[in-house]
Amino acid sequence: MKTVRLKRKEIKNPYLPVEAERITTETFLGDELQDISIWSGNQEKRLEDLFTVDTEGNAETAEDVHIILSGDCSKVKRIGEYMTGGKITVEGDIGMHCGNFMSGGVIEIKGNADSWLGREMRGGEIICRGNAALYCGSGYRGEKKGMRGGLIHIYGDAGDFLGETLWGGKIIVDGNAGNMPGAEMQGGEIIIGKDAEIPGANMKDGVCIICGTAFDILPTFMLEEGKKNIDEFKTGFFEFSGDHANRKPKGRIYAKDYRIHE
Amino acid sequence: MSELLVKNAFVIDPINEINGEIMDIAVKDGKIVESVKDSSNVIDAKGNLTLPGGVDSHTHICGTKVNFGRYMSPEDMRAGRGRAQKYMYPVSGYSVPTVYGNTYRYSSLGYTTVLEGAMAPLEARHTHEEFSYNTLQDTMANTLFDGNWAVMEAVADNDLKKVAAIVGWTLAAVKGFAVKITNPGGTEMWGWGKDVGCMHTKVDYFGVTAAEITDYLIRANELLNLPHSAHLHNNNLGKPGNYKCTLERMQRTPDLNDKRQTLYMTHVQFHSYGGSKWADFCSKADDVAWMINRKPQIAIDMGQVMFGKTTTMTADGPMEFNLYRLYNNKWSNHDVELETGSGIIPVLYSKKNLVNSIMWSIGLELALMTKNPWQCMLATDNPNGAPFVKYPEVIALLMSSKYRDEEFSTLQKGTEKRTFLSSLDREMNWNEIAIMTRAAQAKALGIVDLGKGHLGVGADADIAIYPIKTGETDPAQEYEKVIKGLSVTTHTIKRGRTVSRDGNCLVFGDNATIWVKPKIPENYDISKDPEFIKRFERYYTVNLANYPVEEEYLNRNICIETETEL
Repeated sequence: MKTVRLKRKEIKNPYLPVEAERITTETFLGDELQDISIWSGNQEKRLEDLFTVDTEGNAETAEDVHIILSGDCSKVKRIGEYMTGGKITVEGDIGMHCGNFMSGGVIEIKGNADSWLGREMRGGEIICRGNAALYCGSGYRGEKKGMRGGLIHIYGDAGDFLGETLWGGKIIVDGNAGNMPGAEMQGGEIIIGKDAEIPGANMKDGVCIICGTAFDILPTFMLEEGKKNIDEFKTGFFEFSGDHANRKPKGRIYAKDYRIHE
Repeated sequence: MSELLVKNAFVIDPINEINGEIMDIAVKDGKIVESVKDSSNVIDAKGNLTLPGGVDSHTHICGTKVNFGRYMSPEDMRAGRGRAQKYMYPVSGYSVPTVYGNTYRYSSLGYTTVLEGAMAPLEARHTHEEFSYNTLQDTMANTLFDGNWAVMEAVADNDLKKVAAIVGWTLAAVKGFAVKITNPGGTEMWGWGKDVGCMHTKVDYFGVTAAEITDYLIRANELLNLPHSAHLHNNNLGKPGNYKCTLERMQRTPDLNDKRQTLYMTHVQFHSYGGSKWADFCSKADDVAWMINRKPQIAIDMGQVMFGKTTTMTADGPMEFNLYRLYNNKWSNHDVELETGSGIIPVLYSKKNLVNSIMWSIGLELALMTKNPWQCMLATDNPNGAPFVKYPEVIALLMSSKYRDEEFSTLQKGTEKRTFLSSLDREMNWNEIAIMTRAAQAKALGIVDLGKGHLGVGADADIAIYPIKTGETDPAQEYEKVIKGLSVTTHTIKRGRTVSRDGNCLVFGDNATIWVKPKIPENYDISKDPEFIKRFERYYTVNLANYPVEEEYLNRNICIETETEL
């Protein structure tokens, strides 16, 4: 087991973005710390220039690496990109594109996550104890396939376009979701603890469960007869099929309560 | 001034009837000369294949619809990204890359002259702006006349000279190079949600047929003595059974010019379909090729389809709408007032799709069955059939029947019943490939006299050296070597300067735009015709004085002035 502690050094300009795709479990496998370059704004820096690095123990595979990030990381982007195993713990907030394309391992964020959390991820697990911003678990601009596998669990609220173009996997939000959760989704499952707005627009397949009120359900969704029970919740839900803007849609929205878009 | 000597080059230059000689090429001031005195600047070609710079006579790389393809497909921009280097800007995009992406990739394929296939006259300024960043190739633009109201009215009045006057003035005004006719009449009808079908449906209001529009424009083109012939994208593109329409168009075309073809038909692959619906869709390339073989007045480009993702874009709006209904993906549609329109959709050509497999076969059949390579250009109608970076693969397919058979065996079952590609065993040689990719294209475009497409004395020093030793490579067997060798040149020389070496561009480049200016007599100057001015002021949103593109928009300016018979 190897533990890597990275503490963000004091910074003059808190708005300067940092592109840190190299901070992922596989980077820290060897005994010696290699030169790891990171772009800060328009300058190429070494990892030690931006973080104090403190390592402990040895690791053979990425599975055995645990990275702990602390300090102000709210502008540090692309942490854990293409990660295959191991664990990353963020003691505070994290910047955009955290866990892009990850296929294994765990990322735990104790604060809030910025936009594109778990974008196009294929497996593994992301736990966010705060809120997530826009496009959580979605595809990038124009991309048809978003998140394809794994789990994202957000304890707080999620922003707009949660799970846009979702293809597989599961997203759980304990709080509210913003506009358009599950837009264009074609598989997978979204569970929202409280309210959401315009869910499932243009969905072809997949399930979107809203345990609060679903506002502005689109007129292209059809309300099925009778209230449905779902295994996990055991209470009555309204069931919608859709989006009938597509041919033969297999999508489902379950909502405790709903308002039709007028 | 600057001198350069290319030594030990294995030269194939069809226009000068050089077929594989080891020779030296001397360059002075951007032109090829007999010999040079200064021997300090020498490139050793080491016996590698050396051809004139490539000419692409039909591609879509600049202009509003290409630009729209870029911003409607952000996912395409994620593919094909390249970092900035000393003389290269960062690029992105695969099927519709940025302008720099296009120019760098063409340069590493050895291309030095490209022709944008369709420019709406009203949007010419945008096209020329993008041309000025297409720095490593000389550029030209076909100008669209398919739905031009003034032209259709003149055709309805049977006034050939007026058609010629309108065409001549417009070409000079927008700095265009040739007359492009895309689905004549169809684009105007598409404004009303209709199409013209084959050639004999009358266009609403104007009362002219597609056949008449094309006939008049072909003749007007010859009256103006334009270097290139009329450039036609025929009606009924992509519809099963459209080969009859193609044959009729070829049959109708008179032989008016002894130097070059009278009609250039583009992406004929899309126009050689048999059957009556997609269920009994089949290849009719044999009939079309048979007609081409007996009509020297026709030249075609094959419009080869290659498998993979791409973006289709054309001024043929109704066809794109039909495709959109087939694919149910994104779609863009655009109307250019009084002139033309366009449509754009992304597509995926798949080997699992029977129709796509047949389309792939038809392009190759056309090229292999056209006996005279001077009549058939190699093009994919970039990016409609495939992005131009697939050209080396197309060449390898033409040169190796082994490669064709291997590819054919991976296609959807049933392809063999609808095509006859597997029965063709022609294997092209290097000379034929050189004809199809540069010599014939330069001749069809009428720019041989400008020094394009050949390596004779006085020609522009546009030279491409490929890392292939033709004596040691058997293209029929080692097709992978052919693909690899043709993909990246060791040197691409443009106007005597090495612009690209092993795929890296070495200069920012300095391209030229070639355009035509017919000498029209005063009494045929349409811009002084009161009726034309009145109509223009009434229907266009721009002022007549603001319509022409100023010469400042052109980086380097090559104007071809032609004597007219008006």
